[in-house]
Amino acid sequence: MIIILLILHGLLAVALLGAVTHQALSTRRLKPNADRDSFVVRYRSVHDGAFPYAVAILFILTSLGGGFLYPQYRIDVRPSLEERQLSAANGVFEIKEHLAAIGLGILPAYLVYWRRPLLSQYTAARRSLTWMLAFVIWWSFLVGHVLNNIKGLVP
Amino acid sequence: MKNASSAPVFSTVFGVTYFICFLYDFALFRYYPEVNQFHLHEQAAALGLGPPILWYGWVAMAAIVSLGFATLVPSRLAAKIPSSACWIVTAVVLLIVLIYERRWFV
Repeated sequence: MIIILLILHGLLAVALLGAVTHQALSTRRLKPNADRDSFVVRYRSVHDGAFPYAVAILFILTSLGGGFLYPQYRIDVRPSLEERQLSAANGVFEIKEHLAAIGLGILPAYLVYWRRPLLSQYTAARRSLTWMLAFVIWWSFLVGHVLNNIKGLVP
Repeated sequence: MKNASSAPVFSTVFGVTYFICFLYDFALFRYYPEVNQFHLHEQAAALGLGPPILWYGWVAMAAIVSLGFATLVPSRLAAKIPSSACWIVTAVVLLIVLIYERRWFV
């Protein structure tokens, strides 16, 4: 059951990572002389208004999955990290749990500022909150994967 | 939350409250995964319940306090709070969390 949940959590995280990365990059202004056929420009040229609800729902579902997996981590993984004196590994996970909580907290404002019609006075707030969410999600994703594979990574 | 202007109030207060709860161990409840039990207070180690998880309790506490603020702050006042307050306060909280957690890497 835990393995199924872990795989599901990972798959949701991949979808979330893709959605928030697209959206965050789309909030950056394009240079007027940018090559519109380049991969980077096309990657950024998504309809950013289509993402907020997908990002919010995926974030909540992924966090719920993480919340269900957390007891197993606390019982099995963390003591093993402590025994092996991998303090930094413990630390990056601690940061991940704080970032995930703060990310959950900013979702209401993020959704309000992305509500249509997009008001120009919220441009900075939209951009900043989206980039903060992107940071939270990238951190959580990378830390989750490193810790999941830590026995292979740190002999 | 009454309307859209309450949402940024919730988000602004949430990060700050979460950090205070984490810093001072103000968890609404503690979950002991080894015995699958919830307790409102810290249990003595002698009881053999194993280590507690406080994270759920911190999140719950932050959500309740933030919801309280978002409900109590009048809409007219909430609408006057600049949108930059929300992301600046949250960014500062993120930065403080990262600085505080440096303790794991020294």
